[in-house]
Amino acid sequence: MTSSATKVTIVSERVILDKITAIIEAAGATGYTVIEGGGKGSHGVRTTDRPSVVKALAIVKIEIVVADRETAEKIADAVNEKYFKHYSGIVYLERVEILRPQKF
Amino acid sequence: MEPLLDFLSTFAVQFQKPTLAFLLGGMLIAALGSKLDVPDAIYRFIIFMLLMKVGIGAGMEIREANFFDLLAPALISVIVGVVIVLTGSATLARLPGVRREDGIATSGLFGAVSASTLAAAMVLLEEEEIGFEAWVPALYPFMDIPALVIAIVLANLYLQRTRAKAPAGQSAANGERVRVWPIVVDSLRGSALSALLLGLALGLLTQPDRVFETFYEPLFRGLLSVLMLIMGMEAWTRLMELRRVAHWYAVYALVAPPTHGLIAFGLGYVAHLTTGFSPGGVILLAVIAASSSDISGPPTLRAGIPSANPSAFIGSSTAVGTPIAIAVCIPLFLALGQLVFGL
Repeated sequence: MTSSATKVTIVSERVILDKITAIIEAAGATGYTVIEGGGKGSHGVRTTDRPSVVKALAIVKIEIVVADRETAEKIADAVNEKYFKHYSGIVYLERVEILRPQKF
Repeated sequence: MEPLLDFLSTFAVQFQKPTLAFLLGGMLIAALGSKLDVPDAIYRFIIFMLLMKVGIGAGMEIREANFFDLLAPALISVIVGVVIVLTGSATLARLPGVRREDGIATSGLFGAVSASTLAAAMVLLEEEEIGFEAWVPALYPFMDIPALVIAIVLANLYLQRTRAKAPAGQSAANGERVRVWPIVVDSLRGSALSALLLGLALGLLTQPDRVFETFYEPLFRGLLSVLMLIMGMEAWTRLMELRRVAHWYAVYALVAPPTHGLIAFGLGYVAHLTTGFSPGGVILLAVIAASSSDISGPPTLRAGIPSANPSAFIGSSTAVGTPIAIAVCIPLFLALGQLVFGL
């Protein structure tokens, strides 16, 4: 049996990873997953296939699944307002089906 | 006429040295679109190895050094770091088409120090058999940290002033004061400085002589050549990025390294006359001043001045500043040193 929850995905620069995870924890989410990556966006290409001298500007994708949508929106809004004026990043929400709802 | 010819020939010889050749080779293969890649982990390991070697070497030397010999060069390093940022923000940051905070961030990066340039200079001095006090590389943080701190403070003061002029309501959320201590801690925690300081402590407090002689010392040159290759490839990639920002950055990145080096050379020369600072030390100090940070400086600045455009400051430093420091400034100050000190 599955129950519904909301997934927040934040793609941003590694340099503000700590600050974003602090927001996530303050909002009351029980956990998150960080994936390092590369790609292309409005700030140009971030390669993954070559050593980059400045690791802090590499991108990370942070995924958070929370039971109630309110928390999800709180995280998304806080990150967006606080950091995305100067740092590059995107944030989006999705409906997801989860197992073991007590974990969220 | 003859000293000038001597100067030019010493200068030309340096271009055949492996360090520079690997740098140019890296730029060349990147320009040709080569698929060659060196894994990220190896790059990081090389930085660790080089700074560990530099740190341990310096630490072992400090054990025997007279502590007061260190004072004048350390003070010079701090002064040079601060002066670089102040002149940069009075010149580059005021040019048309350059946003003030971008200009200040760029000068902060040029005041900070590049580990790869420092290592390259050490190898060339050893090849030329020019001696220097082994603690000279430990001057790195004395120039690096003040430069980054001053740049971040200056940029934030400027941003606060412009916000104060902005209509009320916009400025309400942005009243945070700049705290200096977190910037210092952040710099010290950077990968390059942590390795250097750990090495210093190990060299100073323990007896790492055997592991130093059998592992760190023999690997130093080989790893440096790989690092130079990577820096060359990175420089080419960043050059594309630099094209998108104002051309003044490229001009600054060409002119600033030799100018900064000359300031340090002059002050170092005074220290040579007054406290007996070695000629090799003066040359190395000039190269440290000429170098611009490419590893640990950018993240600190990105965090400290979020509104500054990283393409501008990283592009200037990595694409133009570092190649100029390695390919032009090292041979230049080596030749100048040989001319001035008659080595």
